[in-house]
Amino acid sequence: MIKWLCLLLCAFALQAAAVQVVDDRGVAVDLPQPPRRIVSMLPSLTELVCELGGCERLVGVDNYSNWPPAAQKLPRLGGLEDANIEMIVALKPDLVLLAYSSRAMARLESLGVKAMALEPKTIADLRRVWEQMGHVLGASDAQRLWDRVDAGVTAAARSLPVSLRGTTVYFEVNSGPYAASEGSFIGELLARVGGANIVPGNLGPFPKLNPEFVVRADPQVIMISDRNSQALKDRPGWDRIRAVRTGRVCMFTPEQGDVLVRPGPRMAQAARLMVDCLTGRLKETAR
Amino acid sequence: MTVSAVRSPAPLALMLLGVTALLCAGGVAVGSLGWEPLWSRAGDASAAILWDIRLPRTLGAWFAGALLGLAGAVAQGLFRNPLADPYLLGSATGAALGVAVLLVLIGVAPAAGSGWIEGLGLTGAAFAGAVAAVLVTLGLAKGVQHTLRLLLAGVVVGMVFGALAALVMFWVPDIMRAMQAFLLGTTGFLGWASVGLLATLFAISLAVAVAFSRALDALALGETTAASLGIALGPVRVVLIGVMALATGAAVAQVGLVAFIGLVAPHLVRAAVKPTHRWLLPLAALTGGVLLLAADVLARWLLAPQELPVGVLTAVLGGGYLLWLMHRRPS
Amino acid sequence: MSVALLAEGLRVTLGGAEVLRGIDLALPAGRWTAIVGPNGAGKTTLLKALAQLLPHRGRVQLLDREASAWGHRGRARLLAWLGQNQGGAEDLLARDVVMLGRLPHQPWLGAPGAADGAAVEAAMRETQCWDWRDRALGSLSGGERQRVLLARALAVQAPLLLMDEPLANLDPPHQADWLRIVRRHVERGGTALSVLHEITMALHADEIVVMDAGRIVHQGRCADGGTHAALESVFQRRISVHSLAGQWVALPNE
Repeated sequence: MIKWLCLLLCAFALQAAAVQVVDDRGVAVDLPQPPRRIVSMLPSLTELVCELGGCERLVGVDNYSNWPPAAQKLPRLGGLEDANIEMIVALKPDLVLLAYSSRAMARLESLGVKAMALEPKTIADLRRVWEQMGHVLGASDAQRLWDRVDAGVTAAARSLPVSLRGTTVYFEVNSGPYAASEGSFIGELLARVGGANIVPGNLGPFPKLNPEFVVRADPQVIMISDRNSQALKDRPGWDRIRAVRTGRVCMFTPEQGDVLVRPGPRMAQAARLMVDCLTGRLKETAR
Repeated sequence: MTVSAVRSPAPLALMLLGVTALLCAGGVAVGSLGWEPLWSRAGDASAAILWDIRLPRTLGAWFAGALLGLAGAVAQGLFRNPLADPYLLGSATGAALGVAVLLVLIGVAPAAGSGWIEGLGLTGAAFAGAVAAVLVTLGLAKGVQHTLRLLLAGVVVGMVFGALAALVMFWVPDIMRAMQAFLLGTTGFLGWASVGLLATLFAISLAVAVAFSRALDALALGETTAASLGIALGPVRVVLIGVMALATGAAVAQVGLVAFIGLVAPHLVRAAVKPTHRWLLPLAALTGGVLLLAADVLARWLLAPQELPVGVLTAVLGGGYLLWLMHRRPS
Repeated sequence: MSVALLAEGLRVTLGGAEVLRGIDLALPAGRWTAIVGPNGAGKTTLLKALAQLLPHRGRVQLLDREASAWGHRGRARLLAWLGQNQGGAEDLLARDVVMLGRLPHQPWLGAPGAADGAAVEAAMRETQCWDWRDRALGSLSGGERQRVLLARALAVQAPLLLMDEPLANLDPPHQADWLRIVRRHVERGGTALSVLHEITMALHADEIVVMDAGRIVHQGRCADGGTHAALESVFQRRISVHSLAGQWVALPNE
């Protein structure tokens, strides 16, 4: 009995210190103790780390990590394709957080730097990554924080008037036109707040559509997160779409776009933005 | 190892026109759900889709392809090089740079001054960029006297402008997706205004080019012989380069960078008949139109409602043809 | 004897080097003159300068008028040029290539007329390439191709015929045909000027111009002893001119 208790205590003690996490590649990354110097090369991960109370441990971020404000003062270490290996290594990080598709992974590991690939793409992904980051950082209140965010999303969904539930929505992420389908993070969030995406999930998360598809689907609301999109009225046939005729087109600012596109702790804020757009409270309208 | 080709060009022209008509019908029948001819279905919405969306797209694709085919034939005749294509003088990367700069300006100053920027639009920026690149090439080559200098200057300008466009994309990565959509080519946003513009520019380019078809024929014998036959080389080069720039700029502005059409269309014509430029130019235009229209219909059909970038399909089709050509001639 | 081509103080600089150093030349009309000389003497350059195909200093007169006064089309109708090593035009039919020779006579946008067709046929029959008029130039052998190009020059029906190495790729029977063509052109009142490598062929001409290092060394009739001496001297006595079967031949000295 005592032996078991000892083992349990030892395991617990070791657990508090040593962490082993399986990242998105399926590789188990061993961390003998919670990392004190962290580099994050993905904006959503930066936001997550800070949300979980690890902001002071961040020593470097990528070029696009611009939230929270504390992260803006950190050294910039490159983008998705061109991470500055030299600068990363010079910062002597205990852990580097990368996107799954990053080319820096192999290089960093060969240089002996601990790297983890985490790239949440759906809400389920985010939940899992949240838990993993909680383990890595040794944050005991990770679960509580997740519940808070989740509750925020539910609250936003409840604030949508019943008459607006099921509003058909077309969410364009880039001119092409590239749309966010049901299978993307944005699409899942939209579904949770009560919108109906005209783009089904079986086309992949961000399919490049035939513009005719949007005209025929005739969505009630259009959400655009990229300022560079071609003016909607100029697109042939689009002036017949309900959303264009009634002016229910929401052009999100770059800051709002960041909130919507990144699967991270600002999920509740993203949900509220969508609800604002659906109820017509959003100030930005179609050009 | 060519067999003597006595077939006259007229039957080929008729055949191409016939194929064009078929493809137009196909283009109007292929929509966001694949093959779905809406002619039989009554209703305002169907008519609107056919008339507002599918028909201008189809016609626009044909005209853009015709412009590229024509420009390719002119390029190959002017530079006496069967590998010349209409992008030779840097117009492609010039258009890309124009689009990149405009996208940055839109992002940087969305409200203030956006009036003229939006009026210009992506198409205007692309056209301006293409023409600017050709002018820079002409300046670099110090006029049109030396064909070789023109070619080299064109290559240099193409590379430099391409690097500049890449630099702009690097500085403002937000525009990358939009740039990629432009670079890979799409007919998705062609409306009747675009079709009208393309058709007008095509008519002008074709008329001018055919007027100079004798000069192009004479150039085939060498510049000295052409000069001895009374061809004024300087003015002829200026006019033909102008036609090339106009045609290429118009096509690239509306449809993006579509590869291979200008290169392959004249070769396809010459594989069938051995015409003088008076026939070669219109036939190359017809062939270019057919090629791009076919690629566009396929791009819309294969993965409906998703769309493949049409530039990818033309590269596959064009590359396949060149491979077959290399395989066919043992030398 | 009127003068078809007159050059005074003709100088040409190519790529920084002076290729023609002050040429004074008077070519008689209604005659066939051959230009010969060692490699690099400037023969082709002289021909091109006379045809106004190269920038040059000095005066050139064509048929008693300044060359510049004739204008592009006037010159094109006056002077037919056959150049060396003509590449390109692989995909044109032989008939269309010869038809290009009619360009100086056709209006800018007009279609070829009956006269053009007749001129093309006559020229192609004269060089004996009429049989393959519907074949692409790229599918012909070197000699067949040369005959088509020669027909193109003849189709211009110009009084002045300037030819640079016209015998390239031609086999002996067709070289003999070429001699006949040039003679016929001269009999009809035309003037011919040809740069030739084959000295024996050149000795069939009415006059020979001998060039060396950018200057004219000798000009005289082919039967002249002085001409023969000049020929032998310009080629460093590696050839000697003999009479054989009523013709002059140049034989190499071992």
